[in-house]
Amino acid sequence: MKKELIALRVNHRAYELAVEPNKLLLDVLRQDLGLTGSKQACDDSSCGACTVQVDGIPMLSCTMLAASCEGQEITTVEGVADHGALTALQKAYGDFGGSQCGFCTPGFMMTVRWLLANNPDPSEDEIRDALSSNLCRCTGYTQMYQAVRAAIEAEQKGSKRELVGAK
Amino acid sequence: MSLPSFRLLRPKTLDGAIAMMAEYAGDLKVVAGGTDLLPSMKQKLFTPGYVLDLRGIIELRGIRSVSGKGIEIGALTALTTIEHDPTIRRDYPVLYEATKTVASPVLRNMGTIGGNLCLDTRCLWYNQSLVWRQSCGFCLKKDGELCHVAPGGKYCWATFSGDTPPALLCLGAEIEIAGPGGVRCTPLSEFYVNDGIVRLHLAANEIVTRVFLPESSAGWRGSYQKLRVRGSIDYPLAGVAVALKLRSGRVEDARVAITAVNPAPFLVKDVDAQLVGAMPSEDIAERIGDLAASTAKPLTTSALTPEYRREMVRVFTKRAILRAAAN
Amino acid sequence: MSDFSVIGKSIAMVDAAGKTTGAGKYTDDFSMPGMLVGKILHSPYPHALIKRIDLSKAKALEGVVAIVTGADAPNQYGILPVGHDETALAVEKVRYIGDNVACVAAVSEEIAERALELIEVEYEPLPAYFDPEESMKAETDLIHENRPHNIEKDYHHVFGDPEQGFAEADYVHEARYIANEVTHAAMEPHSTLASFEIDPHTGKQGRLTVWSSTQVPYYLQHKLSLVLELPMSQIRVIKPLVGGGFGGKSEINPLEIIAAVAARAANAPVKVTYTREEVFWAHRGRPRTIIDLKTGVKNDGRVTSVACKVVQDGGAYCSYGVVTILYSGALLGALYDIPNIRYDGYRVLTNKPACGAMRGHGTVNVRFAFESQMDEICANLNLDPAEMRRVNLLKPPTVTVNGLRVLSYGLPECIEQVVRRSGWNDRKGRMPKGRGLGVACSHYVSGAANSIIRSDMPHSTVNIKIDRDGGVVVYTGASEIGQGSDTMVAQIVAEVLGCDISRVKVIAADTDLTPIDLGSYSSRVTFMSGNAALQAAEDVKKNILSAAAKRMNCAPEDVIMRNDRVLRRGTTMSEGSSTWSDSSSGKDAASGHVDGQILRGSVLQTRKEEGPRDHMSFEEAVVSAIDFHGGLTGTGSYAPPAAARGGKQKGGGVGPSPAYSYSAQVADVSVDEETGEVTVHKIWAAHDCGRALNPVAVEGQVIGSVWMGLGQALQEEMVWKDGLLMNPGMLEYRSPSSTESPDIECIIVESIDPEGPFGAKEAGEGSLAATIPAISNAIYDAVGVRLRESPFTPERILAALRAKKGMKRIEMTESVDPTAPQKLREHGGSLWFRGKGPMRHPLDPARQGAKAGGER
Repeated sequence: MKKELIALRVNHRAYELAVEPNKLLLDVLRQDLGLTGSKQACDDSSCGACTVQVDGIPMLSCTMLAASCEGQEITTVEGVADHGALTALQKAYGDFGGSQCGFCTPGFMMTVRWLLANNPDPSEDEIRDALSSNLCRCTGYTQMYQAVRAAIEAEQKGSKRELVGAK
Repeated sequence: MSLPSFRLLRPKTLDGAIAMMAEYAGDLKVVAGGTDLLPSMKQKLFTPGYVLDLRGIIELRGIRSVSGKGIEIGALTALTTIEHDPTIRRDYPVLYEATKTVASPVLRNMGTIGGNLCLDTRCLWYNQSLVWRQSCGFCLKKDGELCHVAPGGKYCWATFSGDTPPALLCLGAEIEIAGPGGVRCTPLSEFYVNDGIVRLHLAANEIVTRVFLPESSAGWRGSYQKLRVRGSIDYPLAGVAVALKLRSGRVEDARVAITAVNPAPFLVKDVDAQLVGAMPSEDIAERIGDLAASTAKPLTTSALTPEYRREMVRVFTKRAILRAAAN
Repeated sequence: MSDFSVIGKSIAMVDAAGKTTGAGKYTDDFSMPGMLVGKILHSPYPHALIKRIDLSKAKALEGVVAIVTGADAPNQYGILPVGHDETALAVEKVRYIGDNVACVAAVSEEIAERALELIEVEYEPLPAYFDPEESMKAETDLIHENRPHNIEKDYHHVFGDPEQGFAEADYVHEARYIANEVTHAAMEPHSTLASFEIDPHTGKQGRLTVWSSTQVPYYLQHKLSLVLELPMSQIRVIKPLVGGGFGGKSEINPLEIIAAVAARAANAPVKVTYTREEVFWAHRGRPRTIIDLKTGVKNDGRVTSVACKVVQDGGAYCSYGVVTILYSGALLGALYDIPNIRYDGYRVLTNKPACGAMRGHGTVNVRFAFESQMDEICANLNLDPAEMRRVNLLKPPTVTVNGLRVLSYGLPECIEQVVRRSGWNDRKGRMPKGRGLGVACSHYVSGAANSIIRSDMPHSTVNIKIDRDGGVVVYTGASEIGQGSDTMVAQIVAEVLGCDISRVKVIAADTDLTPIDLGSYSSRVTFMSGNAALQAAEDVKKNILSAAAKRMNCAPEDVIMRNDRVLRRGTTMSEGSSTWSDSSSGKDAASGHVDGQILRGSVLQTRKEEGPRDHMSFEEAVVSAIDFHGGLTGTGSYAPPAAARGGKQKGGGVGPSPAYSYSAQVADVSVDEETGEVTVHKIWAAHDCGRALNPVAVEGQVIGSVWMGLGQALQEEMVWKDGLLMNPGMLEYRSPSSTESPDIECIIVESIDPEGPFGAKEAGEGSLAATIPAISNAIYDAVGVRLRESPFTPERILAALRAKKGMKRIEMTESVDPTAPQKLREHGGSLWFRGKGPMRHPLDPARQGAKAGGER
């Protein structure tokens, strides 16, 4: 089928791309833009490994047509690191064993980032619920809770330090 | 797995969408959230020439109160939006409970209420890849002549697997449908057809545009109970919604609806005769459970045995009634 | 307090940042100019002859570059030398629905998929076999002609005098247990990218490079060589990041060969990535296992004899099957002291995807039976289940009756820990209705003492190169698959060299660069590659010490490497003084980070040679060593000691290991008696890993194992209907989500193994097997029903509860009573389709192939 020219914003950069109408957002990210952080792991929209944020909201890029995202701001896992440094969440996932084989990790980064953006101090149940969109086969999720809590603590300390620094 | 080729239509207005549908009806599929349609298209269950993407139609998004009438929900409203709407949570608790059990949080960010209402029916012999279906000789619902669930029959038993419709049925919801002839409203209870292939009273050139929750059912107590193996992501293997209008502990009106055990979601009949005027009790709840179980006709379309799923309709109905009364 | 600087400290994996930022590359993330997409055509029949394949229409499709079939690569291979029964693409016959028939290489996935639909294959269906006990009766239409009765392999082992043991018993318990089939479901679907180079001398296709999601790069190199008839030296296998294996990538999966065969035919790089459905068809998971178990005990619970018959539904190819059936018997030993054992194991072929190795290979299902039976015995003899395990402990060092050598043995402490932490003594038997506690134990090998291919080669070799920049490069063939092997190797080397771990760069699993290592399976990496790394580091350290000793004018034994410094023993600015090592400014000055100094080091050092030094920076020491020796490299290797290699009986080579890990677990569960649903509140898991080199990683492995066992216990099951897998996707194969995953507390027990690197043993598999019986025993404690068939789905539990209460029976569960009618095992163990479930339509192609064998 003939390609269409679409404009996409990905990780704050503007792209103009020619894509087939049946091309999935995930495939455009991985194949056309080389952003291979988002993963394909299932084919039935169940696992969450391909999760990206669309206008800030986590969605499955394997279940969206690239062309229907025209004009929307896409954030992938590659857009999460803060000026080239790990965010508190990324650091904590490494330190506390939140990531083993790492294949599901990009998806978790996107959903947990959304949780913390909307709810900086979530309860145990809220964290558990937020993690329930993504499947992980290595960790049993246990160490992810520790990682998320550590990230929250680090953020809280960090923001205090920033406040002090501002004075 | 790649999607089959198609032309993508992206209307910005409802009128534009209706015009396109009129032109390509029969060779067109409508996509809203995509969570049901796109995986099925990867499995080549649908190979339309045109896909009509509704995401750009802003007018079909959002929840608003219409004074004297109730609540109006645009068909493209994300399930997450409904789940977090304070009015719905307060006044229509059964819908709140049902919505928050749908799939997973991310899938609810994508899935819409209109999509959940129009969900395709599901079956283990149908929701499979092309090669897989070829290896069993296909089935009645797609490309084949035989039903593997009820061999010899000419009737498709694929199961309706939406969570919100039973809740909406309990609330007496109406839906607005738009087509080339204009707009019509219909009670949701008249929308479904108990046939896995026919499914809906919806013409190929029509779409569901709005859902109305009547003011008369605001404040009804409610509960939704869902059977699933995994605590997230899963479609229901059985689901029961209950809404009760209570006054000083006695039932003034009551509705019970079941899902995922028939090709359509159903209101359970004769519930009011048992419940109205009574104080909800274990005994009565059990009797209603029997009624619901006899309405359920689960077959081997889904995981877990049909016998067990039917049994759970009984148990969950009882629990939903007692929980709704206690809420 | 341990005296280590790196070992025993929890640190992030060396590749963690790549995983959290998306920068880390897995096989499917690679692409090459001119790369084609390969798609595989699969058989729709469970057992059929291929009469004709017509590729003409598919080849005519624009964008199709090449199509290959079995004729393009007919050489047989298999992971075991005794099991070379596979071809990459079917030759003459297909043996399961999903078997590989052809592969299209095309310019896009879409075109390749369309081409598959244009390939015409004519099949002649054969009778198919789906139930192992039926398959064993087959006389004709065998799945493999050289396997009579479709039995891949059977073993009959007798150790001690089992009959005498039963005669001495005060009580004998006997039952049948069934564990249904489960699969790895690693998050990353298998992927392989294959590319040939043109040889400059011949001008023709020359060397092959393969990037693949594999746990065993060297076996892949070997099998590629066998099938492609290319010398191993002309094949380079590179393992990028692997998104989980759990055994599913521990042998050669068809796509790995198919991609290379297609690339050869297409004269272009070809990448094949499985769809999730193909991952399920590739399978190699844990077979459905039928276990008839008999245990004799004294009144105090001491086991006098065990007789165990195991039938495994192995699927259509051997895979690791011979090893699986041997592990199932061998690992009856080495956990408890069992004086007499009889074992009869049958690995049976059926027309389903091949089973293979999965986490806890061979031991898991038998352990479920054994630990459940212990619990049943306790109930009948009124014994405390934790106590019964204590009275049967081994007394190491010892060699078990079946020839397994046990040195370190942390099981007693594991039991102690979980009993204490779970409040077992106070809570057991005093829980509210519907809630219960269950205990179970398990163990696993730290690598197999005998390699698959019998030879005297070392199982692991590690090379180290240090250059003037002070960077330590470690070359290891060990395959990082998310378990942390790269990090483990880096830690060991940094510890030995007393250097900062950031100096250590691990190059792993690239057959051109790294010395041979057998790969990541049977939990061998920490023990074997770890020991090789330790030895390599000692080797290189020796040279640094001798050069440094010269500079310091002392004996090499008096030189210490620690905290990124090299010191003469007794120097004041010495080891353990953390003042300078923690202060960044002091450290920089001391460790010689001066621009240009390193490369000019020798010149400067000659000039500075003003007398003996008492300390130097790591770089200075390295530079002196290179100047002195002419280079700085080290090599280490590991081969298991002869004493650990087991008995001489046929099949006795499988089971022996240089060391065994031990686990004890207590599960705390509730059962909803109306729905049969189980809630696991908590699992306490104590694991003896010898020494925890990286505690956070050990905990991750133990928790992950327990969690995977929980999945098998409660909800995971491959459901078959006449050889057709009903749930080949992650939506219908339900691995647990966070919602129902319980709190798992890992308690590390360190028995310090005398032969392990720094005392370490395995951590990644041993805990899985205890979880299933711990949950089953807890369910029994909660509601008094004994589940002898896994998974313990709510319908099975409810059926058992109703039967127990004498309530109206809903026939939902298959009986596992050996006297039950045969037909209850119809459909290969699935229960979704029993009772009112459908029979296949007469026109259904799968049914036509199912006349004689599967259906009755």
